[in-house]
Amino acid sequence: MRQKKGFVLRNVCGDNVIVGEGLEQINFNKLLTLNDTATFLWNETGKGEFTIESLVEALTEQYDVDPDVATTDVKRTLDRWLELGLIEN
Amino acid sequence: MATIIDFNQIKVNNPRVEDFCIAGFVVRLVMNEETKVWNQLDQYKPFVIAHSPENKPLFTMSVVEKENWSKGENYVEEYRQKEQNMEIAAGYVDGYRCYMFVLDGYATCRVIANKDFSQVIVLLTNYELYGLNNAMMLTYAFATASRQTVLFHSSVTVLDDYAYMFLGKSGTGKSTHSQLWLKNFQGAHLLNDDNPVMRVEDGRGYVYGTPWSGKTPCYRNLRYPIGALVQLKQAPYNKITRLTPLKAYSYMLPSISGIRWDKTLSEGIHETENWIASNLPVFYLECLPDDDAARLSHSEIVVKEK
Repeated sequence: MRQKKGFVLRNVCGDNVIVGEGLEQINFNKLLTLNDTATFLWNETGKGEFTIESLVEALTEQYDVDPDVATTDVKRTLDRWLELGLIEN
Repeated sequence: MATIIDFNQIKVNNPRVEDFCIAGFVVRLVMNEETKVWNQLDQYKPFVIAHSPENKPLFTMSVVEKENWSKGENYVEEYRQKEQNMEIAAGYVDGYRCYMFVLDGYATCRVIANKDFSQVIVLLTNYELYGLNNAMMLTYAFATASRQTVLFHSSVTVLDDYAYMFLGKSGTGKSTHSQLWLKNFQGAHLLNDDNPVMRVEDGRGYVYGTPWSGKTPCYRNLRYPIGALVQLKQAPYNKITRLTPLKAYSYMLPSISGIRWDKTLSEGIHETENWIASNLPVFYLECLPDDDAARLSHSEIVVKEK
């Protein structure tokens, strides 16, 4: 999977938020706030192609978290992002 | 790749030059003296300043004749958006940004801009005044994006030396709400009904009247500190709430003109919008088009002098 073009992470009034920018996402009139874990995952997915496994690995390296819990978290986050069109297969 | 568009050699026949000062920025218009649009530019009159070589224009807009228009090669369209009978298209030609406006199916103007939007070449094709105004507004939005300045879609009413900006989609009742303020509160007056300019200066937010005011001829060359912004939404009742900064930012997004075309433009607009959302009071007003709505918003948002 990979991020779609035209989304950037910004600090909006103290929150981490994904906004649509550039001509590709001109009609993305939403803001998506991210918690710390989601922010970490977004930055990871911005590095290039990724899989659920690669993200779980990165997450468990960064945080002291059980792999099963991490997998659930990653899956839930990616489902949401897929649904919103932030990432693609 | 050799380009055939040369911004150092723009040719306008029989040129007349006029400088305008819009929200503190000088905008220069160069156009054939014979062009009949010159007679339709009353809305720009309050903004005219003496033309002088010392004026440092934010941008110079050269309206050229068809024979001097080099439309360039390799136009690549990247963006097209239709809203009712209006359409805007944007892309690149020979590596330069190019944008155009269509009204009722007729192309009204084409614009080619240099890299920093300091020079733009315009061809007016139909509905010349409409074309010129839109070319001006979008170029202004681009050229000021990194200067803590944004062109807002808003109706602005002034009361006791503070400006109140009413925002909302077309048809929401921004103008109506302004009119209700004028009717209900003595001393209230309209600053602009459609496209004011908002700037952050010395840590304060100001709003300026502009030559662009939609259907209402209200072209005032004045500046006021902003008292509050109010996002309007039609409802079968009247209710007002203050928005958190994040919500304020998200509600304001569609009201800010310009295209977030690239990183520089996006970041410039974001910085200004973020400043507004973090520093100015922004409210959400669900309302009817009645006097009570105006009284309610007035009671909540007016700046109480210390």
